[in-house]
Amino acid sequence: MGLLSILRKLKSSPDQEVRILLLGLDNGGKTTLLKQLASEDISHITPTQGFNIKSVQSQGFKLNVWDIGGQRKIRPYWRNYFENTDMLIYVIDSADRKRFDETGQELAELLDEEKLSGVPVLIFANKQDLLTAAPASEIAEGLNLHTIRDRLWQIQSCSALTGEGIQEGMNWVCRSVNAKKK
Amino acid sequence: MHSSTAYFLDSIDIIDYIDRCKRLLRANTGDVKMFDYIWQHLFTPFLRFWFKWFLRHFTGKCELQRICGGYRPGAARTLRAEYSLESSKNKVLRAAVSAEEDKVEECAMAIMKEKKVSSQKDPAFKTSLQVCLMQISGYKILYGSVEELRKQPFDCENNSHETMLLRLWDLLMPSTKLESRITKQWGDIGFQGDDPKTDFRGMGMLGLTNLIFFSEKYTDVARQVLSHSGHPKLGYSYAIVGINLTEMVFSLLRSGALKPHFYNTAFQSPKMEHFHQLYCYFAYEFDKFWVEEKPESIMEFNRYREKFHEKMKGLLQQPDVSLCLTVDSKP
Repeated sequence: MGLLSILRKLKSSPDQEVRILLLGLDNGGKTTLLKQLASEDISHITPTQGFNIKSVQSQGFKLNVWDIGGQRKIRPYWRNYFENTDMLIYVIDSADRKRFDETGQELAELLDEEKLSGVPVLIFANKQDLLTAAPASEIAEGLNLHTIRDRLWQIQSCSALTGEGIQEGMNWVCRSVNAKKK
Repeated sequence: MHSSTAYFLDSIDIIDYIDRCKRLLRANTGDVKMFDYIWQHLFTPFLRFWFKWFLRHFTGKCELQRICGGYRPGAARTLRAEYSLESSKNKVLRAAVSAEEDKVEECAMAIMKEKKVSSQKDPAFKTSLQVCLMQISGYKILYGSVEELRKQPFDCENNSHETMLLRLWDLLMPSTKLESRITKQWGDIGFQGDDPKTDFRGMGMLGLTNLIFFSEKYTDVARQVLSHSGHPKLGYSYAIVGINLTEMVFSLLRSGALKPHFYNTAFQSPKMEHFHQLYCYFAYEFDKFWVEEKPESIMEFNRYREKFHEKMKGLLQQPDVSLCLTVDSKP
């Protein structure tokens, strides 16, 4: 076996693909998060009609991230994207206290979905750059996250605007995908 | 004594032609980057210089004169003048592309002095050049004001913003009263939640201003578009799709892709009104496109948005492009 064939072998082992679903209420910051992950400009974002998808390379993974619009009208379509999901990222606007109940209810419904059973979930407590943002611990308590027993879960405070906390969250994503596949 | 220079190949056309040859050559050369580098730094300035020198002596006119005399007013003329000014070695000429509106005449005089153009020999030149300069610098100024409006976020504390938002409702839904400022009714005109303020996002007040302009100037058309958006299968969210289209027109303006359109349609410098008018064209045409394409569901939006975007970019590349809303006569 020569050097060339070793090189060829290295080249031909493609990154492992991971399907990530990005969900949450409208105005939670899903598209901003997606663009941050792809290192794109975030200053001209508009509400998502339908969905956006981007592939990002990270730690030997090819992350295919699906950002689905969060408007109530299109939430019924979320289920069309559940199949073969490896990871669920749920984004919460930590400053929108009036809708904590609504977002909690949507999350609970997602965790009850058969097609998403056992899929690890990362909850981003987003918009921590705002003074009025609730801390992640308060949100975790409000959502009763500690009662989740059937999957890996994690809550991470972040600001999609400044980028703070996103890397930590994505590290957890990669670790959990690894743990699940092994 | 109309100029006959139109029959000559101008240096810009020659550069155009060479560019095409270059692309052919480039495709057959291994090291593309190196080739581009050599081309950009050696051949283009060198060739351009000699062609210009030759034509200047052959026709007795400078490049700007040949452009102004040889092309009809509009994109064909202004785009060439812009290219000529921007690639000039002369500071006065380069600075002219960003002249304020009230400095344009002064600028034109300075250019004539630099290039030793006599207004007796070429009496039409000054006016033509001024129109070109108005259009060129007007585009840049327009981008500045559009960007300013975009950066201004929608603010509930600002009375005029609130008034505009309520006016949008009244224009689109004349027979339905808004029950309160925060209400699910906003969904009926295509906002996402019960308070539109979070939907303007990266487009800020530019998004709202566009929506209002469309509903105000073309009230019937806007209501007709809104009625399509309520279709059970082909329906889409009117307001947020509108904000999305604002982003499309804005990014085309930023990239310079709207130049041919504005140079053809704005008699002098393009103004905010021209931008809003173009938005109306996009809003109306997108709706038509969407209905004709019969997408499976709203989830397909981005795919069709991209398709529409490509279609518009294609139209904008045509030299005589003029995107004006013409409403079908049927009710």
